[in-house]
Amino acid sequence: MIENIPVLIVLLPLCSALLCLALTAVSRNLGIFAVKLSCLASFVLSCIQLQMVVTGGTIHYAIGNYAAPYGIEFVIDSLNAVLLVCFSLMGFLTILFAENFGNEKRPMLVGAACAETALLITGILGMTSTGDVFNLYVFLEITSLSAYCLISLGGSRGVVSAYRYMLVGTVAATLYLLGIGVLYSVTGTLNMGDMREILDQGGYDGAMLTAMCFLIPAFGIKMALFPFHGWQPSAYTHAEPGSRPLITGVMGKVPALAMFRFVYCIYGTDFRFVRIGLILLGIFSVFGMLYGSLMAMGQTDIRKILAYSSVAQMGYISLGFAIGTPIALAGAFLHMLGHVFMKGGLFFCTGAIRYKFGTVDINEFGRIYKKMPLTCGLLTAAALSMIGIPPTAGFFSKWYLALGAAGQHEWIYIIILVISSLLNAVYFFRLIEKVFIRQSSELRTRWESEVLELPLTIIIPVVICFIAIFGLGLFNVRIVDILLMTLEGVGL
Amino acid sequence: MMTMINTFLATKGIYFLTLVLLALGVAGIIVCNNYMKKLICMNVMQVAVIFFFLCLGQKSPGTIPVAMDTAVKASQYINPLPHGLMLTAIVVSLGTTGVGLSLLLRIREKYGTIEEDDLIRREDLMTRKNKDGGDRK
Amino acid sequence: MRKTITVILLIISVLVPFMAFDVLPVIGDPQSAPNTHVSDYYIENAIEECNSPNMVTAVIVDYRAFDTMFETTVMFLAGLSVVIILANKPKRRIPAHSSLRRMKDAGGRPIYKTVNKDVMISVIEPVILIYAIYVLFHGEVSLGGGFQAGALIGMTYLLDIMVVKRDRPIFDIPKARAAAIAGFGPLIYALTGIVTILGGGLYLEYNKIPLPIHHAELHSIGITAVEIGVTIGVAGTIITILNALMERISFDDDND
Repeated sequence: MIENIPVLIVLLPLCSALLCLALTAVSRNLGIFAVKLSCLASFVLSCIQLQMVVTGGTIHYAIGNYAAPYGIEFVIDSLNAVLLVCFSLMGFLTILFAENFGNEKRPMLVGAACAETALLITGILGMTSTGDVFNLYVFLEITSLSAYCLISLGGSRGVVSAYRYMLVGTVAATLYLLGIGVLYSVTGTLNMGDMREILDQGGYDGAMLTAMCFLIPAFGIKMALFPFHGWQPSAYTHAEPGSRPLITGVMGKVPALAMFRFVYCIYGTDFRFVRIGLILLGIFSVFGMLYGSLMAMGQTDIRKILAYSSVAQMGYISLGFAIGTPIALAGAFLHMLGHVFMKGGLFFCTGAIRYKFGTVDINEFGRIYKKMPLTCGLLTAAALSMIGIPPTAGFFSKWYLALGAAGQHEWIYIIILVISSLLNAVYFFRLIEKVFIRQSSELRTRWESEVLELPLTIIIPVVICFIAIFGLGLFNVRIVDILLMTLEGVGL
Repeated sequence: MMTMINTFLATKGIYFLTLVLLALGVAGIIVCNNYMKKLICMNVMQVAVIFFFLCLGQKSPGTIPVAMDTAVKASQYINPLPHGLMLTAIVVSLGTTGVGLSLLLRIREKYGTIEEDDLIRREDLMTRKNKDGGDRK
Repeated sequence: MRKTITVILLIISVLVPFMAFDVLPVIGDPQSAPNTHVSDYYIENAIEECNSPNMVTAVIVDYRAFDTMFETTVMFLAGLSVVIILANKPKRRIPAHSSLRRMKDAGGRPIYKTVNKDVMISVIEPVILIYAIYVLFHGEVSLGGGFQAGALIGMTYLLDIMVVKRDRPIFDIPKARAAAIAGFGPLIYALTGIVTILGGGLYLEYNKIPLPIHHAELHSIGITAVEIGVTIGVAGTIITILNALMERISFDDDND
């Protein structure tokens, strides 16, 4: 049984999602309860798996017991294992959080939305675990289809932005398919490890370059990297409030991981044109970091601020890939982990404020901290972490990025990193000022309680995100050590 | 020159056709103003990739991959893998099209149009109206 | 602006072949990489390992069964998404365009009055259903399989809707129920894998289904079980989408 953990992590949310509608028809809360339970179980299993990977090394799980190039394979190295823990935790928190945002009168719709969220989690976990390029495509489509649906649930603006995202996202998926088609045509295999071995024999430079021309835009669109980010701000802004932390926090990270797999694990650093690709990626991320921060400064809707800041944050992650030394890659992945909780946490706060007061305009946030101390605590912690102030996660990830850049003598990257952090500081301090210092404004409370500021299912995600932001900062050395177990072998 | 073109068409010509199909799809998505046409172009693009994969599964003396007797030689049958993969891709594109069509239905019912520039104008109008309403409150 | 983009794209699409097509294999070359590496293994071992003379079926539901499971899930997901997206309708209906109204008048009698429904229901539909079941259970030996069978069953429901008046359907499946049924298809698929885990094997390792029969038979049973799952999933999805499109209800979530 214990050897089946990698596949069970993906299967449990899937089964609960498939059963969710039938269970909701039986009793109105049973379906949601099943989904919650399965997500919790998959979080616990991924923690056990991390332990196994740290002690026993990389796990290869051949589905159907067909050896690697013939069947589909799950490959769990230390990198995947850490990310799986983080993503499944975020999925569980989002499911907890989302039950406060359903339409009370129509339980079937609530059950269906819950099933969609569970399928989104399935797709994300599957994309993280898989070691087969076509299987990755299937999971990518599950992730995107459920995301289109969840975005369209946010009212009519959501429908329009979901449609735009769908057009662009399908173009990305098609380009990805074309890219792996080119790679398949020269290697004859779909397994990542096997593909690496065949490509290492040399003589495939032309095909690899052609495939890279398709793959970088494909992943760029999916992760909302700078020139391909057009769909992202409106989609993040108008998504369904319940599942928004998952969509904004996790959905963009998984394509980034897939891009890392292609560039470093399949192509390898001895590929002849790898420098060109990395410099291109570096240019994209530098402009993305500046553009995202500048655009975020001009917004007043808190959702739009956070959406544009995501463009900048994806720039940090791809900057780590562009530098390419193990330390910089570790910084990129630490930032990925941290950003899941920062952005997810900020959207938990937005959702909580909206749940209690029904507003998303930061000009109305005057002295909100008196009424919601816990939420504002997380808001402040996440904002400080975004700016990069020790001892939060954001500081250490930027520190590793800067170390990596200095090791490669890429001084321009360090300068841009600092400028972008200062720009972050401008708009996040504006947010903090609104929350703590500004004249208090009259906000009508929509949810009253004597003891708690919010329902327990909102407080738990808020508190866990708060702990995670500081935990990732304080225990960064241990986490980076685990990440480096994999990254040492693949960096420049 | 003619022989070069002939060999090109015989050996790689079909790739050229799929590429033209792909380019038509991408160009359509960028150029068309109507959302329905964009959806159709998206489908054209997916079909192009499906053709591309099926080209890879071709083998000159091979037949369809259903074994006629128990002794099987690999050279007798065409490659079954791309066919299997493309079955998945077709289903995925079907699902995407279905979701896209239902989204279009909602857009049409809300805004009364599926032309992109009309839609942007109406969205702006709605935003402005919402802002005015907020001020009055 | 847009025309320029088109022209640039078309020029690129003409130029790229002369640079990039060198890397692609020649059409129909038996020695090319896709035709040798993995494919030979599939062709030569499909009968022995999977007991399935149809190699495409062997690849889909045995070697790469995991992909197909999620493919069925994508079907379910599409049906579910259509239901959710169309669950809300606008508060004010937009008046239909005048040309559309005229077309409706010119269309003549509705379809259920022009088709002989007795022939449809008692002769044609049973034939389609029998064919669907044949395709389902014969899929591993010859051409066919779960997707086709599911589509045929879905078509039967479509015929019912077409020949019978809307307010008096023969089988009335509400769309949320239909989506729940569609969910059971992939679930059967997933549970087949769980059974193999309980039998002590890896996920979807049909050899380890805990039944006391020869391993070739076990593969047949496994393949049939997942094909049934696929059939239910596809048929349920088609019925869901049909129902969702036919009964549009309210559109009242516009509070953003």
